[in-house]
Formats: sequence, C-alpha cells, structure tokens
Amino acid sequence: MVSFAIRRFLAMIPILILLSVTVFSLAKLMPGDALTGKIDPNNANPEYIAKMREQLGYNDPVPVQYVKWVTGFFQGDMGDSFVHKMPVTQLIGERIENTVMLALASLLITYVVAFILGMIAGRWPYRWSDHLILTFNYIGYAVPSFFAAIVCIYIFSIQLGWFPASGSISVGAQEGTLYYYLERIKHTILPAIVLGLFNTAAYTQFLRNDVIENASKDYVRTAMAKGTKTSAIYNKHILRNSLIPMVTFIGLDIGTLLSGAVITETIFTYPGLGQLFIDSVSSRDYSVVMAISMLLAIMSLVGNLIADLLYSVVDPRIRLR
Amino acid sequence: MSQTTTPQLPPTVSESKVKGTSPWAIGMRKFFKNKLAVTSLLFLIIMFAVSFSADLLDTHDPTKVDIMSINEAPSKDHYLGTDEGGRDVYTRLLHGGQVSLTIGLSITVLVIITGTIFGSIAGYFGGWVDSLVMRFTDYVLTLPFLVFVIVVKAIFVDTGVLTLIFVVSLLSWGGTARMVRGKILSEKENEYVLSAISIGCKPSKVIFKHLLPNVISTIIVQSVYLLAAMIVIETALSFLGFGVPANIPSWGNIMSTASTPEVIEQQWWIWVPAGLCITSTILAINFVGEGLKDAFNPKSLR
Repeated sequence: MVSFAIRRFLAMIPILILLSVTVFSLAKLMPGDALTGKIDPNNANPEYIAKMREQLGYNDPVPVQYVKWVTGFFQGDMGDSFVHKMPVTQLIGERIENTVMLALASLLITYVVAFILGMIAGRWPYRWSDHLILTFNYIGYAVPSFFAAIVCIYIFSIQLGWFPASGSISVGAQEGTLYYYLERIKHTILPAIVLGLFNTAAYTQFLRNDVIENASKDYVRTAMAKGTKTSAIYNKHILRNSLIPMVTFIGLDIGTLLSGAVITETIFTYPGLGQLFIDSVSSRDYSVVMAISMLLAIMSLVGNLIADLLYSVVDPRIRLR
Repeated sequence: MSQTTTPQLPPTVSESKVKGTSPWAIGMRKFFKNKLAVTSLLFLIIMFAVSFSADLLDTHDPTKVDIMSINEAPSKDHYLGTDEGGRDVYTRLLHGGQVSLTIGLSITVLVIITGTIFGSIAGYFGGWVDSLVMRFTDYVLTLPFLVFVIVVKAIFVDTGVLTLIFVVSLLSWGGTARMVRGKILSEKENEYVLSAISIGCKPSKVIFKHLLPNVISTIIVQSVYLLAAMIVIETALSFLGFGVPANIPSWGNIMSTASTPEVIEQQWWIWVPAGLCITSTILAINFVGEGLKDAFNPKSLR
C-alpha cells in the first residue's frame, strides 16, 4: 500500500511541472504583464515604470522568471494583486475558507440525499417511488447549474424568502455569535444545493443500480435463506457493499466541486475562490489568475491521487498495476 | 454426388432477412421501439428545424436595439417580450438556438475526430506510442476544464465564435481518446485484424477499414452525450461572459441578462424560455443517447 502511494505520488511530479509551465506560459501570453501588481497605476511616468519593470524582473529571461515564480509559489509567495493591493496569498487565504465551506456543505448534501434516494429507489425498483427518483435524476443531469441557480433564487429567495440570494454573510453579523453562524449556513445552503445537483443525480443513480445488482448476488440469497430480515439485508449487507465504490468518488469530487464553484459563486455573488477568479480574469489581475488556476489544477491532481488511493484500499488488485 | 465448394446461403433464409439482421439493423430496430428515445429524437429534429429557419418564422431583427420598447412583457407584437435593449426575446431565442446548437455540434465533431485519431493511434500501435499519447491525454484530463477555458479565452480577447470552438475542443478530447483507445485495444485482439495485417494492409487501412467500423457504435453514443455536454459548456461560458461575444445571440447570452435579482424577479420571460430550451434539449439528447446505448448493446433485452 505504502509503495503504491509513493509510486502514485512520484508519478504526479512530472504532471505538476508540466502544469506549472502551462500556467506560466498562458499568463505570459496574456495581454499586459503577467506579474503586474506592484506598479502604481497613478504614476504613469515612463522612467518610473521602466525602473519598476527592471526591479520586478520583467526584463529577465523568461526561464528565470519562470523559476522565480515557481519557487515563490511553492514557498507561499504568489505575488501581489494589482486590484486588491495585497499579497495574493493573503487574498486567497481570505476567500478559500468560504469555498471550502461551500464545497463541504455541497458534499454533505450530495451524499445524504443520494444515499437516501438511492436506497429507496434500489430497494423498491420499478415502483412509483423509483420512477419519481429517476425523473429527478434525469432532470438533475440535464439542467445546467446556472439555470438551476436562477430557478432556486426565484423560488426560495424571491418568492418564499427563505434564503438570501447573494453574499456569504449579512451586514452587521458579529463573528463568534450564534447568529453569525446561522447566517453563514443560510447563505451557503442554496449555492451548495446547486453545486451538488449534478453529482447528487449521478450518485443516486449509481447507488440505485448498485443496490439492484447486489440484491441478486449469492451473499444476499444466503442471508435470506438464514432468515435475516429484508430490512437488515438492505440496510446492513447490501448498503455496506454499495457504499464502498461511492467512497472513492470523494477524491474526484474535490476537482469538480472547486471548478463548479466558479459558476455557482458567480451567480450567488458568494465571495469564494471562484468568484475571485472570474473577477480577476475580468480585471486582468494576472497574478491572482495564475495563482488560482495553479491552485485548482493542483487540487484536482490531489483529488485524483486521493481517488486512486481510496480505490486501492477498496480493491487491492489495483495496486498490482 | 460432389459437394459444392463455394459456400452458399441456406435456401430458407431469404435475401432481405439476411440484410435485416446486421447488428446495425438490429440496433436501429431496437432504437425505434424505444418510445422515449424516438419522441426525444423528434423533439430534437423540431428544435433544430425551428432554430435554423428562424429567419422564415420571424421578421424581427435579433440584434436591433429599440429604446422605445425596452423590458416589455409578452404581447402580440413580442411573443416573449423584450429585453433591456428592446430586442425581441422570441427572435433572439430562435437565433440563439441556431448559434448554441451549431457551436455544440462543431465542438462535438472536432472532439470526436481528435479523440478518435489519438485514441486509435495509441490503441493500435501500443508500446511507447501508447504511453506517450496516453500520458499526454492524462495531462489534458487533469486540467480543471472550466478554469483553463476561461484563462485561454482571456488571452484571445474579443475573438469570435471560432476561437471558442477551438479552445473548448482543445481541452475536451481527452475522455474520447481514452475511451476509443480502450475499445481499439480489445478489438485488435481479434483474428480478423491479424489476418488483415498479414495480407499486408497498412496500419491506416486496418484502423479505418477494419477497426473503427467495429467501435463506431460506441463512438456514436459517446458523441451524443458529448453534444449535450458541449451545449451546456457553451451556454455556461456565455453566461459567465467568456463564451460567444455579447452581440451575437446565444442561449447562454440570453440567460446572462438574468444575472440581477431584479430581472429574475420581474422579467421571467427573459430567462425562463431560454432555460427551458437548454434543459429540454439536453434532456432529449440524453434520452436519445441512452436509447442508442441500449440499442447497440447486444446484452440488453429490449
């Protein structure tokens, strides 16, 4: 197991290098300076700009700039934001908390809903409940997240007024009070549901099919022959076997959720990494764009690694590859 | 009495029946028995037909700004009202469908071609070619798709639809390549491939003439699902402002008008029709895809 993990980890390194080269080259290709941030936009004196450019190393050969950026990145120095006038590391630090909370809430909702619906549909297949859940799944697959978000805002925020439509916290909420945490949760629920909608549909369907498949296996027949109650067979024997493959999805979720957050956060104006990314691309704040794309790429790489490791725990045959 | 040397068909099987039992014909027959899939196919045909005859069906100009009639509710003049520029939403919906569907189709075609070429080269040749191509594919698959499309689109500022098609295709062929490689890998173990090689067929001929026709059904199913995904990608990117240029109507661009709570609350006619068009199209495409998958699967009972 350990040797598999190490091998898998080492195989990640060339891809990581390639990724950093890609991000750096893309940033270099963007119009303007990729590492802009420290130059004062109000001071347009050509001499000053030339001096700053020299000082910031824009006149260095490109490979030198690359090495500088990469070493800086992995030491936690991602440059300065041009728009926000602060170190990118600090800026991302402020935002990442919101995105992580959103992703965790989304994961929780996804797995709980998929677990309940999948078990119901799988236990009584081809009944009305199954058909209803199947319909939900088909719609969940088909509806684009931005449309789902708008519909949710229209129904739950505007018509019913249950949840706020934007932001992550109300004005005036003091950190540390119970009210503050309740507000945070209230602001997170709608985006979390929308973010997890596709996965919920996919996992519900997966669990349903897996439960139906398991129900015809030998161990279920044995349990039945021994007189185990049907509910116990489903809730203990089958559930345990069907949950195993679902656990391995968590790794892959990391990448999808963080990328999906780009759309969801923008619509709900939820101040997380995704919204920061879109804002920064629009305002040409390249150091932030570079840092976030690199960060998200690394996260999806790590997610794949976790998925592989979890899979090898579940199915030891994988390790032999 | 000497036996005939040329193999002949048993006399009881008529010519037409032999034709009717090719895997393709069986698949098609199965597909047309699937009511949901056929209904969806009809729906899609109508959707395409209506979108592509937008100029015949409606006389409004989708891009003409008319400040005298902004944000109007649906009426006889404007079936689905007007947006903040006084443009007719119904007209924009039709033209938008044309743009969104065309982009989705173009990306799908490009992705399928690229993915199939890479996949079949990797699968057929194996060895170092395979590892090289597949490592590269792995790398493309690791990139967080949406983020990198937006970054690349930011480099080509103010470029048109073609850049969008190209950028999205460039980043999404990985899945198809991996799938085609897997299929080719198992298909090339068959003896007919060996015999084709031993009578001197060139690799390109073996791949195109012998291998691909045998994996084409999987590729078709893949491309149907891909079409759905790519329409969603186009609309999502346009919604965020990184897709189709704002002056060209597309389903995503129409939806992007509804980014403020005021529009969502008071002007349902802007976002509901476009949203329903996208969702129902994706739904129908998925049903067709599922129908085809079932139809081509020899194990399925239906």
